[in-house]
Order: sequence, then C-alpha cells, then structure tokens
Amino acid sequence: MNTSLAHTVKRFEPINGRGAEIIEFIMAAPQVPEDPQLEFKVRLSVEEVVENVVRYAYAEGTDGFLEVEVALTTDSPQVLRITLKDGGLPFDPLTKEDPDITLSAEEREIGGLGIFLCKQLMDNLQYHREGECNVLVMEKNITE
Amino acid sequence: MEVTIISGSKPTKVKVEGRIDTTNAAQFQEKLDPLMKGENPDIEMDCAELEYTSSQGLRTFLMLQKSVMARGGKLVLTNMRPQVREVFDITGFSNIITIR
Repeated sequence: MNTSLAHTVKRFEPINGRGAEIIEFIMAAPQVPEDPQLEFKVRLSVEEVVENVVRYAYAEGTDGFLEVEVALTTDSPQVLRITLKDGGLPFDPLTKEDPDITLSAEEREIGGLGIFLCKQLMDNLQYHREGECNVLVMEKNITE
Repeated sequence: MEVTIISGSKPTKVKVEGRIDTTNAAQFQEKLDPLMKGENPDIEMDCAELEYTSSQGLRTFLMLQKSVMARGGKLVLTNMRPQVREVFDITGFSNIITIR
C-alpha cells in the first residue's frame, strides 16, 4: 500500500443540489496537481461521478451524505486518489454497460456517457461496498 | 456559457463559448432549442471558445445532431479545442458529428 501525503477530507451532508460545490471542493484540494490537461480530465471524471451520487444515490425525497477524500501518494510514480463514500442505495457504477460507440447518430441513445467517460479518463476505478456505504476509488497516475 | 445564433445565414452560424457543466447544461439545451426546430437545419457551430463539456453537454450535442439529421440538414462543429475534441473522440461522437 502506498503511503500518502496529507489527505483532504470532507463530509457533505445533506447533498441535494450541492454537486457543483462538492466538485469545486475536490478540485481545489492541494493534492490535485496544477496541470491544465490533468485538471481537465480529473474534473470531468469527478463531475460525472459526483453528479451521479447527488442525483441518484438517495431515494427521491430523501437525502444523505457524501464523504470525499483526496490523496496523493508519495511513491513514484505518484497517484492521485479520490475516494467517494455515500450511504445511498447499493450501486456499483462500474457494472453499468458501456455505450456502443460504433453506432450511428440515429442509433445512439441520449445519455449514459458519464461513467464511461470517467472510466476512460482515469487510470483505475474500484468500487466496493463498505457496511451500508458505497465506496468508489478513482485513481489517476501523475506523470512528470 | 454563451450561445450566439446568427440566423439568416446559410448555414446558420452558431458560436458557443465557455464551459458546459452540471450547473448550466439545462440552459445550454434551452439556448440550442431554436436550432432543434427551425427551417434551416444546416448549422455551423464555432467551438473555438468552448472550454469544457461534461456528458450533459454531450447529450445536447447528440440531440441536436439527431434533430438536424431528421430534417435532412447537416451539423458541423469547427475549431474545437484539443481537450474538448478528446471528449468527442472517447465517446465516439467524432464519428457521428462532423468536426472540422
């Protein structure tokens, strides 16, 4: 297991309507390198998964928490690790079927691209259930 | 995020600027609404100042493409920035929407 620099951790609760705030908090963490290309990919990935949690994790009319942790390993190569933990309905986003990107415009369905984008833009995604919580770990390798 | 539509020209010229994200994707869709029905389904959209789009923005691009095709028109996106282009490439949108 890699050792990590100081983590940035925050628990948001409630989370309804706070997607943008949570995304900004993660992207402002000192562990996120100031590299525009990397920042673009990480932001897009974070936006897709955070929005998913905010919109769908908790049953309609209910609300809950989202705990975020941002860490940067000290090992080389460095890895930016963003962990999202929510207490919502059990949901593994990684089991969602990828869209067929070879279809024509007429055949393509509207939507369903968020998690797919995240999978493509990050280097490693892992989901597990921890007690009553969904935990999604997203990793991006930091190359010099 | 700003959308400027210059109608009267053929194709219809559109300029999209800024970022399309979770906070304004619905507005983006609203702003493109006139393009989803008008009589001139040929559209050239300048994306030089489009800085970012999430999957929710992509959704609207696909809706526009479907709508334009259904009316026998053509949608062309121009001057796209490399990072935005990558999002279109990854999702296969580069294959279904003309990017120049």
